[in-house]
Amino acid sequence: MTAAALQQAHRAPATRAQERLWRLLLLAALLGVVWSARDLRWAEVWASAGFLLSGLATSGMLALAAISLGALAAVPLALARMHAPAGLRHAVVMLIELVRATPELLVIFWLFFALPAVTGKAVSGWTAAVAALGLIAAAHLAEVVRAGIVTVPKGQWDAALAVGLNPRQALFHVVLPQALRNMLPALIAQLVSLFKATSLAYVVGVIEFFRAVSIVNNAVFAPYALYLTLAAVYLLCCGLLTWCVRRLDPDYLLAS
Amino acid sequence: MTLDWHVIWEYRSDLLQGFVLTLQLSLVAIAGASLLGTLVGCLRASGGFLARRLTALYVELLRNIPIVVKLFLAHFILGIDALPAGIAALILHQSAYVADVTAAGLRSVPSGQADAALALGLSRRRSFSLVVLPQAARAMIPPLTTQYTQIVKNSSVVMLVALQELTFMTQRVEHETFRGLEAATTATILYAALALAIAAAMASVERALERRAA
Repeated sequence: MTAAALQQAHRAPATRAQERLWRLLLLAALLGVVWSARDLRWAEVWASAGFLLSGLATSGMLALAAISLGALAAVPLALARMHAPAGLRHAVVMLIELVRATPELLVIFWLFFALPAVTGKAVSGWTAAVAALGLIAAAHLAEVVRAGIVTVPKGQWDAALAVGLNPRQALFHVVLPQALRNMLPALIAQLVSLFKATSLAYVVGVIEFFRAVSIVNNAVFAPYALYLTLAAVYLLCCGLLTWCVRRLDPDYLLAS
Repeated sequence: MTLDWHVIWEYRSDLLQGFVLTLQLSLVAIAGASLLGTLVGCLRASGGFLARRLTALYVELLRNIPIVVKLFLAHFILGIDALPAGIAALILHQSAYVADVTAAGLRSVPSGQADAALALGLSRRRSFSLVVLPQAARAMIPPLTTQYTQIVKNSSVVMLVALQELTFMTQRVEHETFRGLEAATTATILYAALALAIAAAMASVERALERRAA
């Protein structure tokens, strides 16, 4: 690794021939995987396709429910962190930081224990999982919202008011659209992170995709075919979303 | 809702034992992920065409599959023992993120810096290690802090292959006494303490780098 190599990398974009060669290599590697996997027990996977798909749908719904809940809660949390009086502000900061420092698995367990203690009756694994992932999303998105609002220049407000918009119009037509555009990569990145975290929800009995694969495997024992499918599906779903993040912001650093 | 904190005192040695394993796993994984991630990140930012593409593939493959899936693949499919499988999953998973952080850090150093170092007569190796890398390192500290905290958090998944770390111990308390809430709360505080310790350590590293640069 030398500085010269570094410079070269900066200055020389990949040639078209290199690009083509790489695509060929990728295709060859993919075909190699498919070829070596041809004799696995795919019939068993195919026979359980419906069950696996419903597991995948559960994972997707869990992630979407959590991010919706998180996004809704994130706005008041962010505003409280920015503008609330000291006591409330410190409490909000502490909640956000505590949740961000706690393992996802432990947050799920914690809510699974805490919700019945608060509500007085047992909660389903689904409720606990949605609440836990929603809380995690809220804590992370509160920071995203805060950064999104801060990065819209104050001049935008002033200009919107100067051309005769009222504050409400300025917020909805000028500031929020820009803030949302700034937040979009982080929002999608959070969705990727949540989708991966749904694989932990099985610990409270939710039959999401990961659990569905294990259940099928326990019944028909086709570990290679099933786990290859498992990895490929996660790779495809998260890969597509990550690709969207890259398109929106090539320099975005995914955190988890 | 009544909480009974005596149970924490009763299970103090279990919880402490779990905490120590979490700490050990985290330290080993931090060291491993840093080494592997930095290497991959350097190749990603400044290797040749093939090296850059292969490292990009490495990052995407490892980042887009949940860590539990990697852990189960290593333990149940490849048949690796729980402890090495857990460590490998933690290192491989986070090395992808550390590689991204390293590559971004190297890219953030203006190319004029290396040019100037070469023009002043430094060798290529020295201009990289004395001029480019220290500047990149300073840019890398905040995102690395996030990644190290993430390693501590992710170390909790190894309980799913029956390694008795901190989160595992909270489940033991739950199963034996139904006092999971107290145990989980205690564990949360311990994890937060670890996150604070990492933040403090990284802040002092950052200050040391600043001093060296000044």
